[in-house]
Amino acid sequence: MFFKKIHTRIKIILVVIILLFILVIGKVFYIQVFQYRKLNKYASSLWSRNLPIEANRGKIYDRNGVVLADNLTTVSLVFIPNQIKNKEETAKKISEILNVSYEDMYKHVSKKTSIERVHPEGRRLSYDVADKIAELKIDGVYLVKESKRYYPFNTSLSHVLGFVGIDNQGLSGLELMYDDYLTGSYGAIKYFSDAKGNRLELTEKYEKPQDGVNINLTINNDLQLVLERELDNAVLKYNPDQALGIAMNPKTGEILAMSSRPNFSPSQYQNYTVEEINRNLPIWATYEPGSTFKIITLAASLEEKTVDLENDTFYDGGSIQVENARIKCWKKGGHGAETFLQVVENSCNPGFVVLGQRLGKEKLFEYIRNFGFGEKTGVDLNGEANGILFKLDNVGPVELATTAFGQGVSVTPIQQITAVSAAINGGYLLKPYIVKSLNEPETNTVIKENKKTIVRKVLSEETSASVRSTLESVVTNGTGRPAFIDGYRVGGKTGTAQKVKDGKYMVGNYIVSFIGFLPANDPEVVVYIAIDNAKGITQYGGTVAAPIARTVLNEAINILDIKKPVGASEKNYNYNELKYVDVPNVVGMNVNDAMSLLKQFKVEYSGTGEYVEYQSPSGGERIYEGQTIKLLLNDRGNGN
Amino acid sequence: MKRVDYLLLIGVITISIFGLIMIYSASYVWADYKFNDAFKFVKNQGLFFIIGLIFMYIISKIDYKIYKKYSNTLLIICLSLLILVLIPGIGTVRNGSRSWFGIGSFGIQPSEFAKLGLIIFTSKYLEKNERIIKDVKKGVLPILGLTLLIFGFIMLQPDFGTGMILVVSIVGLLFVGGVDFKFFLKIGVVGLVGIVGLIIAAPYRLKRILSFLNPWEDPLGSGFQIIQSLYAIGPGGLFGYGFLNSRQKHFYLPEPQTDFIFSIISEEFGFVGILIVSLLFIFIITRGFMISRNCKDLFSKYLSFGITFQISFQALLNLMVVVGLIPVTGVTLPFLSYGGSSLLITLCGIGIILNISRDT
Repeated sequence: MFFKKIHTRIKIILVVIILLFILVIGKVFYIQVFQYRKLNKYASSLWSRNLPIEANRGKIYDRNGVVLADNLTTVSLVFIPNQIKNKEETAKKISEILNVSYEDMYKHVSKKTSIERVHPEGRRLSYDVADKIAELKIDGVYLVKESKRYYPFNTSLSHVLGFVGIDNQGLSGLELMYDDYLTGSYGAIKYFSDAKGNRLELTEKYEKPQDGVNINLTINNDLQLVLERELDNAVLKYNPDQALGIAMNPKTGEILAMSSRPNFSPSQYQNYTVEEINRNLPIWATYEPGSTFKIITLAASLEEKTVDLENDTFYDGGSIQVENARIKCWKKGGHGAETFLQVVENSCNPGFVVLGQRLGKEKLFEYIRNFGFGEKTGVDLNGEANGILFKLDNVGPVELATTAFGQGVSVTPIQQITAVSAAINGGYLLKPYIVKSLNEPETNTVIKENKKTIVRKVLSEETSASVRSTLESVVTNGTGRPAFIDGYRVGGKTGTAQKVKDGKYMVGNYIVSFIGFLPANDPEVVVYIAIDNAKGITQYGGTVAAPIARTVLNEAINILDIKKPVGASEKNYNYNELKYVDVPNVVGMNVNDAMSLLKQFKVEYSGTGEYVEYQSPSGGERIYEGQTIKLLLNDRGNGN
Repeated sequence: MKRVDYLLLIGVITISIFGLIMIYSASYVWADYKFNDAFKFVKNQGLFFIIGLIFMYIISKIDYKIYKKYSNTLLIICLSLLILVLIPGIGTVRNGSRSWFGIGSFGIQPSEFAKLGLIIFTSKYLEKNERIIKDVKKGVLPILGLTLLIFGFIMLQPDFGTGMILVVSIVGLLFVGGVDFKFFLKIGVVGLVGIVGLIIAAPYRLKRILSFLNPWEDPLGSGFQIIQSLYAIGPGGLFGYGFLNSRQKHFYLPEPQTDFIFSIISEEFGFVGILIVSLLFIFIITRGFMISRNCKDLFSKYLSFGITFQISFQALLNLMVVVGLIPVTGVTLPFLSYGGSSLLITLCGIGIILNISRDT
């Protein structure tokens, strides 16, 4: 009987033991099934080590695929200290190659970390240094690819592009604005490691780095380089305080070129002041626009039909009395009797005061606001300013009068070029933009695209057409003559604005400007140039800014492949100006006949005979009167 | 003489050889790192395994009744060794406990001998005092007192895990020997009151005791080992990473060939491996209990039960730690964990059971 009791108790214990085993197995099952995800994730991150691989930063292109911000591949030194067996020797050899102190290198080699980046002495190594390190073949010493930003055109477009820091992080300009897109994401070589950091003989995983997104700009680099060159020339010639220029497609709002002085070299940004780097003057600067603003008054008057340019007349006696103020014309003694077309051509201030008075303050300011002044244009760049307008309640007769010819308002260059674009493109105020598209680096698929954005309609087509022709006559007959390009139809307006300092106008210190476009009947490009405090010259927009704008426009003809229009307006020449004329075609003609046709030119011969075989310049080209034409003669009566 | 129980013999040899293989797999990384010899641990263990097999064979030929005769002498030897090991210079410290007699790189733990010695003594005691065992004062307290004395010596090393195995296996023997349920209830209540008292005195203890429930609260301290163990068990899945492919043994899990070898088995052989190992244990334990059941005299019944129960309790204590069911106690897994003297004594115990099985 006693045995039976013992056996029962043994059975009880056996059952308990088996139940506990089942409990253990159940717990293992629970761990492997229900906690699998969590444990596997944690364990994987515990076992695997990443050797990071830097992604290529996205490139920035102009509209034709010219690279404006590129990458240079360099290599950098990385240690995995746990894999380095002989730390002293490694530190010694590498410090000798890099020519740095042994102690510093030993600190890197023996640092208690999984991956040690040798910064800064091991960053961006030259290839021969990298080769020497690679030849050592030391375990745990890695050379990883790193890229360095490179700006092929150096200072060109610097304010727009911005620059990057040592870790390729965008610090200003588009590099900063689009940093998230440009950066891409790190790739890695994932390997399994033991707890001491040694590599395990298990499969490695390679995770490709995702290169950054490329940016295509609306900028035309050829035109940009022209603008840069012209601003450089202006700096050399006039030593101005500041200078700036913008070129824009008035039909779309695309910015074709943009620059200012002072500028900087993005790769050496450390050598410049914060102001030099951050002030992208074309969108940041605010100042009184001066006469270029008269375009707005003109457009408003035409739209409201408060003036008949051809038939209404005005007598400019040199000044006009508005309440207690006497507003002078820029020309001493005034322009005398003139039509309002001549008022515009002469940029006559008292005439514009009358135009403003006819509109009234409500209407004038409504148009000013509709043209986008007083608020940001919304251009896709950092640091745009608002500009300042009078509050309507504070506008009295004097303020109305001065605003009409561009004084007492404060605007940005981008506002002016955008407003003038609206005035000449059929009346559409557009949102200017500089980023055309963001493209995926491998497939070049468009991720994001900027298109023409109409903000509002400001003028009718007809009014816009009359603004164009009026501004064309400013260039052919008026103050804009220095911008005339023979054979092309150019429209434009000069501006000369006094600078304000501490609430007072400064003496002999002007911002002179010119805004011009071409072809005047169907504008494809509009250029704005402003020079702040040009020295050694009479500071008029016509004398300083217009010739610069002319050069830019002239080069834009070829760059943008703008066709020669039919019926270009003939310039009205001053007595001392040389005329452009067509060269007649004389090839195949008898010498005497040719000579009678070429009376206006100097003629030089070469070869012998009666007939003209070849002429230079050839027929149809336009040259100045009195220039030389070379003729090659032969005996036969046929050309070529 | 009848033949020994071959099923038990086969089961024990199978699990021991599997243990040897797993010790190699679990230890070669550490062995290579520490001793520049990947086979260091497995060679040691292999040597003890062979010695253990020889001992087991010899012991299976020795009539178990001789232990009854010399049980007092054995107990005195064990006690002396337990005292000797505490003396600095004689006993050596390993892993923070003065539990070892070191001979070169080999080590012998006297507490392992004490575990077996006390079971022999208790078996004889229970047989001799069959009639008074129901009397708590006269029957239970003396043997319990002796047990706690030995427990005390072991705690001086200190080695809580071994001490606990020793106490629980004696309590198990007493239970089978017919001591009243009520007595165990009382012990349970006293233990509970003691634990509650300790917690009230210092509430941080509860936190430490319960830390195994959420090891991530202190991942680098008390939770470290269990987290590393879970990292081995969890990702293993149904079939594991395959033999030799454990990742946790690469210095993540400290000394993976000892207490946490079960995790490495789980990592390399998955759920299936765990099931097979558990079934092997259950098989061996069931064989041991059946032999005990078939014994015709009380001493051999108690002795074979005691040895088997001790092995099964130690195995469960280890497994429940490894899978995170109870706090870490530092107990090895019989047959599988690295540890020469532990394997040797276990095999000696099996030898005794095998001898007993001839008599049934």
